[in-house]
Amino acid sequence: MLLPPPWKGRRQGKTPMQKLEFILRRLLASFVVLIGVSIMTFFIARVVPSNAAELYIGPKARPEDIERVTKQLGLDKPLPVQYVIYMNELLHGDLGLSLGTKRPVLTEISGRLPATLELLFSGMLLAVLVGIPLGVLSARWQGKPIDFAVRIISIMGVSMPAFYLGLTLQIFFFRDIHLLPLAARVSGDLRFTSPIVEKTGFFLLDSLLTHNWVAFKDVFLHLLLPTITLAAYPIGLIARMTRASMLEVLEQDYIRTARAYGIRDMVITYLYALKNAIGPSLTVIGITFAYALTGTFFVEVIFNWPGLGLFTVRSLLGLDYPAIMGITLFGAVGYVLINLIVDLLQAWIDPRISLKKS
Amino acid sequence: MMNNRRLLFPLLIVAVLILSACGPAATAIPVVTLPPAPTQPPATVAPTVPPTATPPLVLKVASTASFETFDPIASFSVEAAYLPNLYEGLLRVNPSGSAEAYTPLLASSWEKSTDGLTWTFHLRQGVKFHDGEPLTAAAVKQSIEAAKDHGGAGFIWAPVDTIETPDTSTVIFHLKFATAFELIIGSTYAAWIVSPKALDAFAADPKYWEKGVEAGTGPYMLESYTPDAEIVFTKNPDYWGGWTAGQYDKVVVSIVPEATTQQQMLEGGEADLVCACLPTESLPSFENNPNYTVVKDKSFFNYIAWFNTLRPPLDNIKVRQALSYAIPYQDIIKIAVNGLGTQSRGPVPTGVFPWSADVPQYSYNLDKAKALLKEAGHEGGGFSMQLTYTTSNPAETLFAPLIKDSFAQIGVDVTIVPLKLSEQLALGRKGADGEDMSLMLYWPTYADAGMDNLWSLFYYTKKPSWNLSYWNNPQYQTLIDQAQTTDQATAQPLYTQAMTVLVDEAPGVFFYEPMSIFVVPNTVAGFQYNINYPFTYYFYYNLHAAK
Repeated sequence: MLLPPPWKGRRQGKTPMQKLEFILRRLLASFVVLIGVSIMTFFIARVVPSNAAELYIGPKARPEDIERVTKQLGLDKPLPVQYVIYMNELLHGDLGLSLGTKRPVLTEISGRLPATLELLFSGMLLAVLVGIPLGVLSARWQGKPIDFAVRIISIMGVSMPAFYLGLTLQIFFFRDIHLLPLAARVSGDLRFTSPIVEKTGFFLLDSLLTHNWVAFKDVFLHLLLPTITLAAYPIGLIARMTRASMLEVLEQDYIRTARAYGIRDMVITYLYALKNAIGPSLTVIGITFAYALTGTFFVEVIFNWPGLGLFTVRSLLGLDYPAIMGITLFGAVGYVLINLIVDLLQAWIDPRISLKKS
Repeated sequence: MMNNRRLLFPLLIVAVLILSACGPAATAIPVVTLPPAPTQPPATVAPTVPPTATPPLVLKVASTASFETFDPIASFSVEAAYLPNLYEGLLRVNPSGSAEAYTPLLASSWEKSTDGLTWTFHLRQGVKFHDGEPLTAAAVKQSIEAAKDHGGAGFIWAPVDTIETPDTSTVIFHLKFATAFELIIGSTYAAWIVSPKALDAFAADPKYWEKGVEAGTGPYMLESYTPDAEIVFTKNPDYWGGWTAGQYDKVVVSIVPEATTQQQMLEGGEADLVCACLPTESLPSFENNPNYTVVKDKSFFNYIAWFNTLRPPLDNIKVRQALSYAIPYQDIIKIAVNGLGTQSRGPVPTGVFPWSADVPQYSYNLDKAKALLKEAGHEGGGFSMQLTYTTSNPAETLFAPLIKDSFAQIGVDVTIVPLKLSEQLALGRKGADGEDMSLMLYWPTYADAGMDNLWSLFYYTKKPSWNLSYWNNPQYQTLIDQAQTTDQATAQPLYTQAMTVLVDEAPGVFFYEPMSIFVVPNTVAGFQYNINYPFTYYFYYNLHAAK
């Protein structure tokens, strides 16, 4: 064999030490980013013309009540002092109290996170499972009917607004053919027939672990429509990305060489070419994932999904600045971590990528 | 063709590879380190219900409201949808026109002194809070004093001087001045009687209520709460009112912010009841369906506007009257709520004390408006105005342009500025530097619009909190002062006279009251809307499954 199969060899690129050093360096840099984000969100939140104490207690409050709440929330102290107090509490894992719900912001975020992540994982899974093969097919059969079909699907996926797609799916699958549930994570009466025992907060996993098949089916059916709605956009994006980079790679000399050697088309396309073409798609997947952590508002509203997106929008509209700051910080951490993981994956897939200083 | 078939297997491999690569990414997000939300129901070991047990009778409700606080003392927001099922006051105010004005709850009877300054309440015997504490006079005193001190709507207790508890089942209120006290006692905010154990726990730990607990005497108890998702109530087996067959064992509330989703849930049977927020376009289909009853009731709410009387030419009565004649009232009702509203008579909504049919209304009459402008020395208009409204209010968004169009016809140019409520109020409080006209949806804190609407919206104070008209009329203020410090019967004519002065001088516009609309399926019986508890769409105890 003159060309080594792609799954063998060439793993000598990076030593574990190098990898560790890279991760530590990135985490350190991320810490600086997070400090910056915290300062910016803190001060921007205070510039907004609104009285936090008044928001906390409601518009009909007496002046003495507003004064009491101002003291209670520590808003009577100078801004830099407030920032130090905030950071001190933050380092102790306390993100403060939401003005809207009057509960700790951390509790609000962590309570909603499993719902969002469950939807997100299933959505991304679907996007990858469908998007990448579509992109590959499209590139391999460029100019053929299948290519056109894929391009139309991906354009539709990218340009169809989530709220429109979601409502259409609901009208068809719930109202017209009564096949799938309308909204929410589980049926309301499930709790009386076979309640889910929460272990991880991921209902699909929980019901699987406890062999609760009735609940598993219920959760799965509830998950279908929001998953499709959420996945539509990344499917289009990933398919287009994969197609574009596949087309480029398929033109490369080494592919032509491989063909000349008579290696089977399937091996060339899926192993030699896709491996080199997957990079940009991976980046897109990472960014979409990070964005969707707090940005799946439309899907969550339509399917009444008790996730972070709903909470984010409610906090924004209510000028609930402790919640906004908490969510922003959380989102920043998410971005940083996911980008780090994507970079590591890229380096693992493509040995030419250096983990040294960029 | 061969190639096409062979594609399938490698495709799967690729997918699995990528997925397994994504795996670690997922767990790397700091999910696992977070503590579980305290309000999540504790994990029980045995999830399965024995199949032989009769399933509980469940009422499924879809609602927009969540709990903004679990503190019944601080409560001053949307959790009012649920608190009256968990907590009780001494009495409940019945809708106007009922045979009895009040329903006794924790007080079995009460009387007042002839001067209206001393009110004695006799408590119901043998009532227990959900935490097992007995209901005593001391508990009532402690609850109301806490509300007076730091309640979200603590200001409603302003007339109360002292509270006396001569024995364990008698509470005596000494008032500073006579007032319609039953309406305060029956308030939906700051009047809940709470277990003293919980009040003490809150005093010791300010985070006590955050855990999502309750300690009332009501017919239902809180079983679980999942933020933004679900609230489960279970019946209080020891409720003093007792239980009859057909009443619901459990009430499961899904929190659904979207009205169209609620509509679909109602149509598809996923919800028995939804809150009164269905899209008005959907009503005809329910009205034509024999399986539903559409209930249209009076309103606790109305739309008003203030004219800023500090800004010329709005300081001129005739200009304000002219503008009041230039409001297309019926068109506004048609556009904003599909005709499901009635034109207001002053700032008091129909069915709320002290509403009166004797208060005059303006009609839409552009000729009169033009004539009045001419009398005021502004023939043909020729001035411009800035109008603000609350962005989050869809009705105001719809009808603000109608005002602009209509005013343009009498030569007045309007600039519309949408603002957040807090920004709108802040601008309005800037006096002569504020806006010219400001639209507002208003409702009284409790069922007394004389103490609230008439005072809050148009009684002059130097630094206003809600009177953004800056209108300063001594006659009106004297009438309000007199009416507020006497009993309901004596107060009514005084209030009517005050409202007549108010409408005549037109420091504001009184647009319309949106109707309260409910769609009730025939499977649920016992529904009656009580407009004195406008956010409590359903008292679960009154409902039962229809045979």
